[in-house]
Amino acid sequence: MMRRGWRAAAVSTAVCLLLTGCAGETVVKKQHEQVEITLSWWGNDARNEYTIAAVEKFEELNPDIRVNVSYSEWSGYEARSRVQMVSDTEADVMQINFGWLAEYSPDGTGYYNIEDVADLVDLSNFSPEMLDYGRRGEALNAIPIAMNTETVYINKTLYDQYGLDVPETWDDLREAAKVMQADGIYPMSGLTKSIWLYSISYAEQVTGKTFLKEDGSLNFTVKELEVMLDFYDRMVAEKVFPQVEYYDRLNIEKGIYAGGVAWVSDAVNYFGSAQEKGYEIVIAPYTAADSKKSGENWYAKPATMYAISKHTEHPEEAAILLDFLLNSPEMAVLQGVEKGIPLSNAAQKTLKENDMLSGLQYEASLCMEGNTELSQMDPFVENEDLIDKFTEACNLVVYDQATLEEAAKTFYDNIKAIASS
Amino acid sequence: MERQKYPTPSLKQIKSLKYSMIGGYILIVVVAVLLVSLLALQTADRMLKSKVSSLASSLNVQMKLNMDSYLARMETIATLAFASEETYTYDATDPDNDEYEAINTEKIISDKLYSLCIMENFVDYGIVYRNNRTVGKISNGTVNLFGDEIYEELASMITNQRTRDGWAAGFQGNFKRIYYVKRIHDNALLVISFYTDELEDVFDNPETMSDMEIRLTNQNYDILYSSVQDEVGQPLPEQIMQRVKDHNATTAMDNAYLVTVTGCGDDWYVICSIPTPIILKEMQTLRVFVCFAAILAALLAALLGVVLSLRMTRPVEAFVASLDTKAHTDQLTGILNKRSFEEYTENRLANALNFEQHALILLDVDNFKGVNDTLGHAYGDQVLAKIGSILRAEFSTVDLLGRIGGDEFCVFMNVSPEDGVDYTEFVKAKCEALCQAFRGNYTGDDGKYKISASIGVAIFRGQGDDFKSMYHIADKALYASKERGKDTYTIGEPEVKE
Repeated sequence: MMRRGWRAAAVSTAVCLLLTGCAGETVVKKQHEQVEITLSWWGNDARNEYTIAAVEKFEELNPDIRVNVSYSEWSGYEARSRVQMVSDTEADVMQINFGWLAEYSPDGTGYYNIEDVADLVDLSNFSPEMLDYGRRGEALNAIPIAMNTETVYINKTLYDQYGLDVPETWDDLREAAKVMQADGIYPMSGLTKSIWLYSISYAEQVTGKTFLKEDGSLNFTVKELEVMLDFYDRMVAEKVFPQVEYYDRLNIEKGIYAGGVAWVSDAVNYFGSAQEKGYEIVIAPYTAADSKKSGENWYAKPATMYAISKHTEHPEEAAILLDFLLNSPEMAVLQGVEKGIPLSNAAQKTLKENDMLSGLQYEASLCMEGNTELSQMDPFVENEDLIDKFTEACNLVVYDQATLEEAAKTFYDNIKAIASS
Repeated sequence: MERQKYPTPSLKQIKSLKYSMIGGYILIVVVAVLLVSLLALQTADRMLKSKVSSLASSLNVQMKLNMDSYLARMETIATLAFASEETYTYDATDPDNDEYEAINTEKIISDKLYSLCIMENFVDYGIVYRNNRTVGKISNGTVNLFGDEIYEELASMITNQRTRDGWAAGFQGNFKRIYYVKRIHDNALLVISFYTDELEDVFDNPETMSDMEIRLTNQNYDILYSSVQDEVGQPLPEQIMQRVKDHNATTAMDNAYLVTVTGCGDDWYVICSIPTPIILKEMQTLRVFVCFAAILAALLAALLGVVLSLRMTRPVEAFVASLDTKAHTDQLTGILNKRSFEEYTENRLANALNFEQHALILLDVDNFKGVNDTLGHAYGDQVLAKIGSILRAEFSTVDLLGRIGGDEFCVFMNVSPEDGVDYTEFVKAKCEALCQAFRGNYTGDDGKYKISASIGVAIFRGQGDDFKSMYHIADKALYASKERGKDTYTIGEPEVKE
């Protein structure tokens, strides 16, 4: 009897202990594991903001993937990219410049072959011709986002004030400078790279030779380089455009620069403020020696491209992100035409459906697409060292530190050295 | 059918004590369990709040350390600019500068600055001169933001006069970038900036604290960074502001919020907050669980108590009941003894109403002395015991049966006849049946002694009758039965008082 009582008490106690959790149970809580990948890009505030917003959206749609971002404005980005590429620390997915393909992946092994993850990236949204921009050897190293070219933007309000038409030729610009310089106004302006490309176009039109041969080797001789340097010197001296070192973008909205040469993708970035101040900004024909040959010796290239690191440990996740950036409606709406008209059919369709194909950038893109004279840009002309040597040579001439011939010869030797390095 | 028992006060008291004990035990158990549960919940609540406060405080301090470390790292990288002599010797505002040399020097400085900031997500890393000339990485966004006032505005951000530097954000309501400015010389400022989004990594929050809202504010409590979307640039929410304003290194918790604030950097604040109900959400689950466990524990304890109590009191009760029975019953016959019979009958008569029908039957065994003398006391005892059985068999359980003398028995009838039957006839029938039962049992045919019963009856006549008066009538009637030759019954008549 007594034994049964103790048994009942023991059972009751055990039940109570069990219910009150005194049984010493091990608590195991699984943490949410995410695959971490990195994305890098360059751009202005607007691009940074919408890309960050897109990444947040992507992470929302793909909770198992975390994207760490690395970004800055263009200045310095190329140098950072070089450090990362040579130190094998590049991002898993990266925005790259067209020129870097030749530099870092001459045989197609510098970046990941995107065709290996073609089941995750919808390549059917891109024409074979567009994909060819990203091919190196047998590998698809990058996918272009949009096409880009240097474009001439004109403050028509200012030109109208001086009774001038929108300039079409180099002579038109020089004539405009004669009228405008009394008021300290430049009919044209540009950042170093834009002026460098502008000078190439001029020299090619005037000499009838291309800067590079079809195989990418230098075609210009010292003589043609003299034409380039002379062009720069005269344009600066005649106040057609300011020296690149003194270029001040605020002068666009201040009405001091009546025109500018800049990338399609920089249209709003550079001329949006002027538009906001009431200036009418129009797209001018590509400046030419002969107005009927607008677009000749001007070059187009993919605005920017996306590539996947060859060292990525997460190619599938990187491919999912890549597809999101290129083809998703979410990214298309956020990006709009900030980089130009997207090449992805899916992105274009989204923009059309959302009535987003408009504005200065879109007009610049239409101008580019409508011109059949534009040629494909060789990546070599975007080499930063090359451009540095160009400005050095120009300054030798501008500041009478060397004769035109000497400066051209120095520049020629520098180009050869860079090409062979 | 079990004969009705008539518990005595002592047994009643024991039963009452038993139920009081069980009730009291259950009450004590329930109250004790409730108190313990309440105490446990309060303790858990207090401990949880204390732990969460401590955790939030630690998180806040960690965030502050992260922020301080991040800012210190930025300052260190900025200071590296001084490693190049040209940086602090060149003055772009000097009118005596040779333009060509100046351009080349600026190129050298610019290249140096770019190389220093190459791996950080700086928006700006350059020098702004008093004439607004810039060298190095000065972004379009910054140029647009400050315009022609860039030098003066940046110079106004210097707050630390010893190190001639300072941090600032929110110029003209623009909180996208955070600026660090350091004076190089009288006409030059080093400026670095980064997007506030960069602070995501600084304030990266563990998943387990994902409900915690983390904010960085300036001295005016404008939000420089927030884990809550679209808050950057807004003033600190009022409900947080009222808890942290003018406080530093403090953690406060009330029913609405847990807020912790720590100063960092340049008069800035790292503020972590979480609504208290979110913290106590899990406590609610615990509360339900504890209540459930308490109820179950109380039930189990009460049940166990009842079982143990019953087990404990039952033997006592049985023992007391046994004693009680022994005290009230005649051991030989199993019916009431004289004292109890008289007591119960007296009580019954005292409470009887006029219309009630009762009868007191007095029975005396004829020739019993002869049985004892001839067959011995043992047989005599058997006879007496048998008489008890006969009485129990002939009368109902509601009737009172008692042995009031050696061979004298008494029955107080409580049973009424069916409607239409005369009570006296009913009683007579009972008496006849009783006599018959005696005759049937002790006929003398088996050689044993023939036993019969003489019976006297008193019929209840209404209030005023008591045991004594009824006994007296029954006794006289018995005597009459004896006189008439025994083995018969007589209905007694009350004496008429003259």
